[in-house]
Amino acid sequence: MPLVYMNIIMAFAIALMGLLMYRSHLMSSLLCLEGMMLSLFIMSTLIVLNTHFTLASMMPIILLVFAACEAALGLSLLVMVSNTYGNDYVQNLNLLQC
Amino acid sequence: MTMYIAFILSVIFVIGFVGFSSKPSPIYGGVGLIVSGGVGCGIVLNFGGSFLGLMVFLIYLGGMLVVFGYTTAMATEVYPEVWVSNKTVLGVFVSGLMMEFCMVYYVLKEEEVEVVFKFNGLGDWVIYDTGDSGFFSEEAMGIAALYSYGTWLVIVTGWSLLIGVVVIMEITRGN
Repeated sequence: MPLVYMNIIMAFAIALMGLLMYRSHLMSSLLCLEGMMLSLFIMSTLIVLNTHFTLASMMPIILLVFAACEAALGLSLLVMVSNTYGNDYVQNLNLLQC
Repeated sequence: MTMYIAFILSVIFVIGFVGFSSKPSPIYGGVGLIVSGGVGCGIVLNFGGSFLGLMVFLIYLGGMLVVFGYTTAMATEVYPEVWVSNKTVLGVFVSGLMMEFCMVYYVLKEEEVEVVFKFNGLGDWVIYDTGDSGFFSEEAMGIAALYSYGTWLVIVTGWSLLIGVVVIMEITRGN
């Protein structure tokens, strides 16, 4: 298996760990989610191009469509949080106190 | 060196990912994601996928990241944290870089690495050849098949985008 895949899988794992460990901003976690989608797009494109699986070339594009949907939804939630509290800090999401 | 260009670009890809996963202020995270997107497009171009590389630049960087950029500008702070201004961010960035370079050094010393699959260095420039495709690009033909074989896929994605817009308008209505 080519060596490029090892680096791209490692990039996905790094972005996943960045998503799961918060610092202060909610926006940074959304950026890590976008990074995961980018690494999945690159990985699936490389596999489709290497194995000449022509009909599966539409899969990265459909992945990008749903990633755009998800990014837009995440951003709209961040905008509403920012409208209520003035900034997008994760520590503001403390209505559920348990 | 041109044989290893895909591997070098993928190392720069991982460095960009470590750059935004170490969580500086989001505007600098966006810069790291833009760098990774450009380098990822370069990797895809090396394997012959010109249309999909263009999609990365046009739709991913030009569409999604622009939206992230101005949303970040809306919800940002007065003194944004760069990588060198905060010891936590710098420490995470440096340890991520060291992990990547140790992995690359190990892989280049032994010829292969086995985590779940066997990754070896031969696969980068030895690609499967399943016959001659003529004068047209296979990947562009496969994407064009979205409208013939994948009609239902187009309907489902179009409908889900429409529902996504409706959901976002309901969320941002406010009251």
